Amino acid sequence: MINPPVIRVENLSLQYRDAAELSLDHLSITVCKNDIYGLLGPNGAGKTSLISILCGVFGPTSGKVTYYEDSRPMPPARVRQVIGFVPQEYAFYQELTPLQNLEYFGAMYGLSIKEARSRALETLAILGLQKAADSPVMRFSGGMKRRVNLAIGIIHRPSVLFLDEPTVGVDVQSKHAIIRHLKQLSRQGTTIVYTSHHLAEAEEICNRIALIDHGKVIAEDTLEHLLATHRQPDLAALFIGLTGEEFRD
Amino acid sequence: MNKFTASIRKEILLLLSDKTGLLLMFAMPLLLVLVITIIQDSVYKVVNENKIPLLVVNHDPGGQGEKLIETLGGSGVFEIEARNDLRPGQLKEELISKGKLIALYLPENLTSGIVNNATVVSRLMMKDMGMEFDSARQTAGPMPELSFYHDPVLQESYTISVMNIIRSYMRGLEIAVVIDRLYEDSELEARPDLLKEKMLSNNVSIRPVLARKEGGIATPNSTQHNVPAWTIFAMFFMVVSLGANIVKERLSGSFLRLKTMPGSFRLVIASKMLVYMIVAVLQVCVIFSIGIFVLPYIDLPRLNIPSGNFPAFALIVLLISFSAVSYALTIGTYSKTVEQANGIGAVSVVLFAAIGGIWVPTFMMPGYMKVISHFSPLHWCLEGFYILFLKGGSWYELRWVILFLCVFIVTCQLLTYFKLRSEKIV
Repeated sequence: MINPPVIRVENLSLQYRDAAELSLDHLSITVCKNDIYGLLGPNGAGKTSLISILCGVFGPTSGKVTYYEDSRPMPPARVRQVIGFVPQEYAFYQELTPLQNLEYFGAMYGLSIKEARSRALETLAILGLQKAADSPVMRFSGGMKRRVNLAIGIIHRPSVLFLDEPTVGVDVQSKHAIIRHLKQLSRQGTTIVYTSHHLAEAEEICNRIALIDHGKVIAEDTLEHLLATHRQPDLAALFIGLTGEEFRD
Repeated sequence: MNKFTASIRKEILLLLSDKTGLLLMFAMPLLLVLVITIIQDSVYKVVNENKIPLLVVNHDPGGQGEKLIETLGGSGVFEIEARNDLRPGQLKEELISKGKLIALYLPENLTSGIVNNATVVSRLMMKDMGMEFDSARQTAGPMPELSFYHDPVLQESYTISVMNIIRSYMRGLEIAVVIDRLYEDSELEARPDLLKEKMLSNNVSIRPVLARKEGGIATPNSTQHNVPAWTIFAMFFMVVSLGANIVKERLSGSFLRLKTMPGSFRLVIASKMLVYMIVAVLQVCVIFSIGIFVLPYIDLPRLNIPSGNFPAFALIVLLISFSAVSYALTIGTYSKTVEQANGIGAVSVVLFAAIGGIWVPTFMMPGYMKVISHFSPLHWCLEGFYILFLKGGSWYELRWVILFLCVFIVTCQLLTYFKLRSEKIV
């Protein structure tokens, strides 16, 4: 059974100021409810630009993004309430503790102070950060910071969660904790849009994958269909087969 | 309201975690106020309040040298230290090695020269009046020359003022000798004391009048300048804390995350400005309180805040606070790194302070620097306090200060807005 669409992207194009080429070139995808949707591609393919537009950080040059709730288009104000965003950067205040960060961002998502606190404690416990809840984040390891970054993105229990390379530069334990929690969120009904360069990780968690290169979708389907269609043994072989071995520095 | 409260709480927590920033905003200005006020006050007292220490070497065997010393000592202007054992050549060494600032040498021929000159004057007057005189006593000799030694660090205007004071007392002595000689040559029986008193005491007086309004009760002194001046400097120096705070948020991606959240991003900026405005007002309260309650205990003048126009005082404090916050916001928005924000912010505030009259009042600057000082926001801030504290200024007199600060605030806010907009943050 195919779930109803949550995000429909139609003919999306983006050209940065002073850029000669399009960063996104008439790109179209559909993300359905409960998908863990992997956006994969080499450096500069347009993954972060696409996620930024989907999260409303900036608008496209042309094209359209529509969010759906109960199969009805969602107004932009509502979209901001239901999405969660975990950017590549550590997007929090390193001088503050994880608890203070979560309470602040929770309040900014519209939670009451009491609610933000209880959810913050709960989320920190899930991500194994309860013991460090009152220490400044600046003293944390990279893995702990990544988990704080994720915790902030899910404090308000979003129905759509965007993750831009959430496991980059973390140890195995932290990566495992993050992946495990993403799977749990998916089971609870959260739709996840996720970018990564870790193809094995994408293979493990994504039910649908879009390969993007030069701002265009060059392949999009379930992993099984993609491998079967392109007659490749795994995602890494498929990736190299479709995007080539040329460096993208 | 919950978001605004949370934003304010976050800003306060960030501020409290920035120990260096807090030290720069509160401890540094207190130290500056104390040190510079003490230094300037001692100089100020040397010039205006304390007696002028004067080393005198009197080699005059006649009475006039001694009389001059008595007159100078009794004037209340000088604190005389007599050292008749010194030779003229040793006086320079005494000034250089013993830290004395000024010295006066009275030569051997002082009395004889004055008396000789008085005799010549007396005889001329008698001749003009058709009276007989002894022609043998008419020849004028060379007039004696006092030597005034002074340390080169003293300003020329100061040494000229001191020399003029000594000269006026010397002139009094010379007139007294002339009168004595005139009475003596005329063989009058009357005593010349009354004439001397009339001639020397009944002078045209000069009444000092301060150009200020009735409400202005403060007297210019080192405290009245340094406390407001360094408070303004400290308020603008928040650029180091707030500027770095903004750069960190931009670079860390927190701004980006906030953009994806419901609610106005302007609320975030507004809460930041509000917290730092409160900090700036606190700086005024703390540093001014030190000026009022602590400085008198260490023998410094008390800060006087005229109570005449409190609304104007409050408005000026708020405008200065808003100017400082807006400037820090602009620097933080345009800087690419924390180091850049700290460097550009700190150096620019020091430059603004230098040209704005924080260190040296603008009236002591050359003409072109006075013109340049108008481009410093710190100049207008200080001018606001001067008008209020020293001149008892009215709203009308504050109009240019208010106008300039408003223009400065609007300019900084617009620059910030356009930069954030170009970065798609607002």
